[in-house]
Amino acid sequence: MPLAMAVKGETRTITEFKGQEEVRRRLQDLGFIKGETICVVGENAAGMILMVKGVKVALNRGLAHKIMVAD
Amino acid sequence: MSVTIALAGNPNCGKTTLFNELTGSRQHVGNWPGVTVEKKEGAYRKDKDVVIMDLPGTYSLSPYSAEEIIARDYIVKERPDAVINIVDGTSIERNLYLTVQIMETGIPMVVAMNMMDEVESRGDRIDCSRLSELLGVSVIPIVARTGKGLAELMEAAVREAKSGRRSEGPHMFDHELADAISAIGRVFGNEDADENRWMAIKLAENDEIIGRMVPEDKKEAVQLLVDRANKAAGGDAEAGIADSRYRYIGKLVRECVRKSGAGHKETRSEMLDKILTHRVLALPVFAGIMYLLFACTFSENFLFVPGLPSPGVWLAGIVEDAWGLAAGKVIGAAQGLGASGWALGLVSSCLDGMGAVLGFLPLVLVLFLLLSFLEDSGYMARVAFVMDRIFRHFGLSGRSFIPMLMGFGCSVPALMASRTLESDKDRKITMMITPFMSCGAKLPVYAMFAATLFAGSNQTAVVFSIYMLGILAAVISAWILNKFAFKNEASNFIMELPSYRIPTLKSVLIHGWEKVKGFAVKAGTVIFASTVLIWFLSNFNFGGMCAMEESFLAAMGNGIKWIFAPLGFGDWRACVGVVTGWIAKENIVATFGQLFGNVSEETVEAVMAGEQALPAIEEVFSRSSAYAYMAFNLLCMPCFAAVGAMKREYGSWKWTLRAVGFQMATAYVAALVINVIGSMIV
Repeated sequence: MPLAMAVKGETRTITEFKGQEEVRRRLQDLGFIKGETICVVGENAAGMILMVKGVKVALNRGLAHKIMVAD
Repeated sequence: MSVTIALAGNPNCGKTTLFNELTGSRQHVGNWPGVTVEKKEGAYRKDKDVVIMDLPGTYSLSPYSAEEIIARDYIVKERPDAVINIVDGTSIERNLYLTVQIMETGIPMVVAMNMMDEVESRGDRIDCSRLSELLGVSVIPIVARTGKGLAELMEAAVREAKSGRRSEGPHMFDHELADAISAIGRVFGNEDADENRWMAIKLAENDEIIGRMVPEDKKEAVQLLVDRANKAAGGDAEAGIADSRYRYIGKLVRECVRKSGAGHKETRSEMLDKILTHRVLALPVFAGIMYLLFACTFSENFLFVPGLPSPGVWLAGIVEDAWGLAAGKVIGAAQGLGASGWALGLVSSCLDGMGAVLGFLPLVLVLFLLLSFLEDSGYMARVAFVMDRIFRHFGLSGRSFIPMLMGFGCSVPALMASRTLESDKDRKITMMITPFMSCGAKLPVYAMFAATLFAGSNQTAVVFSIYMLGILAAVISAWILNKFAFKNEASNFIMELPSYRIPTLKSVLIHGWEKVKGFAVKAGTVIFASTVLIWFLSNFNFGGMCAMEESFLAAMGNGIKWIFAPLGFGDWRACVGVVTGWIAKENIVATFGQLFGNVSEETVEAVMAGEQALPAIEEVFSRSSAYAYMAFNLLCMPCFAAVGAMKREYGSWKWTLRAVGFQMATAYVAALVINVIGSMIV
């Protein structure tokens, strides 16, 4: 399922990224790689705050729709 | 022999703090050639032969943004004698991703493990000597804020720089992938040469910039090997390489970092974020903070106490008084020397012009000190996140909000702040619409009209509506530009939210001062030159010195007034006001004071503050044309100082002129609509 569907407090594992190469590279630099577990620590209508590798990163929801995660 | 040491690290890792601690005030700030990314260098405080170069903060050496390309080109091509890689100990895993990439370049390096005080206060432990053994480079624990460990750090860095010992690239790739990468390196000769090894990794990562540098006759061989690397990594070498790096880092962290066993404790940062990024509370809290910020800067009735000036207003008053006194002395001295009338006129108008800028300086200073505080504390990243929700509807990212907010103070530093935007499209649009935010200098113009023509009605509402008009124009413009000129979707929002930290006084002062200094120099030079020009045009005609009604300026005003006739102010004096407004917007009031009945300077000041009316302007303006005139001056080309800032940030006259053209067109259309509709209603 897309990361955007996860709710606050949940922890998920990244399985796939469906998006442009450029954006994937930036996410990778920030620690979003396949197999990494991330935790949703905040959200509003337009975006989410995620905890990845001990750092908080904010993403807009459109982007979170392109990151596939599993339980 | 002098050595050059470059500082590299993630954004928010404390790099700027370290740079300031190491160099003190001996800094030189410039731009990297061709781009508006700040280039800072300075001499080490304790050894002038050591030059320290501050590279832009980056997350990796992949070519994603201008900053990253600069950082990597500097490391790979210019090859400083050594690199100090600053690592934020509180987010060590993510920070080491850049570390291993710098190691891949083979440059002599030292790791500065920063924020060790925070690591300890969390009860965690980082074994720096073990990490150093595993990495094969020195790892020095430091606390940049307090200066702890900096002497050891510099000693190690200088030692590395002088020895020229290359850092060995870590062995982190799987056998097959490593083989494929070595094979790519061999295509260029010696696979062990730093440059070839680094290029091989980048080619396997499918790096477009490095790919273009491969000579034609080697392209085919490289492509075959890159395919092999892709196969070795299960289809995608780039992802495979990133994965290998992170796995390697994971191993390092498991071995060298001990998290406190006390379980997860809620940090202060997390508690603050619960409120400051709350889905409902975030916006009202932010509005409250902004209100306080502006009250501290501009309020005449600070904290609702009538007559109590805010710190900004109080400082501005002192500076204005001092300047007035000094200017009076200069004029007096000139008179004593028997200066002729025109020379006195020139001197006093130059002094007035510069005084206008100086009077604004304290306001700008206070505003920027406060904004620097918010920026350094980590709150601005949250603001961008919270505002992204709203800005997305108009095709901009929340990051555009910070420059626009600063625009209410002064467009010059606001335009400078737009350089932090990652997307080129966002930056271009933001710079076009930032001057629509009504800057502090435009307020006296509204005050004049409100006191004169809207005396009977709610004056505050009139002025407030002009501010709203500016925001509305900005929002509509952003939407139109996005839809028709750039034809683009809103860019993605990806932003790290750093832990909240109380900034040090020193860093806030340095940060704020840098901005104010730029403003003062730009404004000083541009304003000075244009003041002289306008003074000449308004006091001379072909026959020599003359009354203003017969001057070049009046002739020009009469020549162009037909353009403004449809807007309701086809009068030469109004036209001249628009022109003098380009020097500094509050000049409009001074010009009107002179042109409509030659009133004294005290009267002009009272008019600016909205305490006194200027009845003579009722001859020319009706209510609707006055409103159209305010709207026009709000939206048209900003002052020359701001245009200068635009030119600097766009880096081209073409884009600067496009932006000015767009602003002029917006102003004309808005004023026309207001005048037409207004004259039907009133």
